[in-house]
Amino acid sequence: MRDRPSGFANAWLQLALSVLCVLASELLLKRGATEVADPNSALSWTGINGLTSPLVWWAILLIIVSFASWLYVLRYIPLSVAFPLSRVVDVLVPIGCWIFLGEIISTRRWCGIALVIIGLTLVAKPVAHFEEKL
Amino acid sequence: MTPFALALILLALVTFVAGQIFLKHAMESTSQAGFKKSSVAVRLSVGILLMTISFFLTLGLLQRFDLSYLYPFQGLSVIIISLIAAAVLKETLTWRLMIGAILITAGVVLVSMS
Repeated sequence: MRDRPSGFANAWLQLALSVLCVLASELLLKRGATEVADPNSALSWTGINGLTSPLVWWAILLIIVSFASWLYVLRYIPLSVAFPLSRVVDVLVPIGCWIFLGEIISTRRWCGIALVIIGLTLVAKPVAHFEEKL
Repeated sequence: MTPFALALILLALVTFVAGQIFLKHAMESTSQAGFKKSSVAVRLSVGILLMTISFFLTLGLLQRFDLSYLYPFQGLSVIIISLIAAAVLKETLTWRLMIGAILITAGVVLVSMS
């Protein structure tokens, strides 16, 4: 890593910010898409009619924020480390669906979530080490 | 799930992975050359275009499937991106990173199967 910015410019903090924005945007997108769902129209396969929902626009705003911080992360962290870590959203999204959207999580799904968490710790552990060396 | 829906899910995945690779490649070069070089702008635009296609495909799919069912398909992208980052961008892959990526993918697939 070249010069290592600290504080708000810290790449790991930006990674966390990016992840949280993705989480919120996914939940908003599902709410918005459901709101304006029109499964009989062929055009709706393109998703373009989703733009009529204000929630979709809020989601787009959050996606832009997460995108900007993600680009920043890419400048400092290798993709093969940053990307697996960003998949913490795969745990957060189902849990968010359960809490905020009332979707049901089966036992098998909980097992899947547990596997993701184990995988994440494996990817994240050398990161601490990696940071020390820089 | 119809074959058509599956094809759209896969297309959303492929455009997403390719988009990430382009973005990383673009941002890598900014650390040496800044944003002025035109190759950076081209790579960034291609990356953004691919991500946009992936976004609208996902939005269409979300109108038909539960988010908790649909979303984890993107988990497959973890393993694909790690491999392609190693091959194309010459990043170092450790065994630990690979096993972590496989577990994340397996967990995400398990989530999407239930």
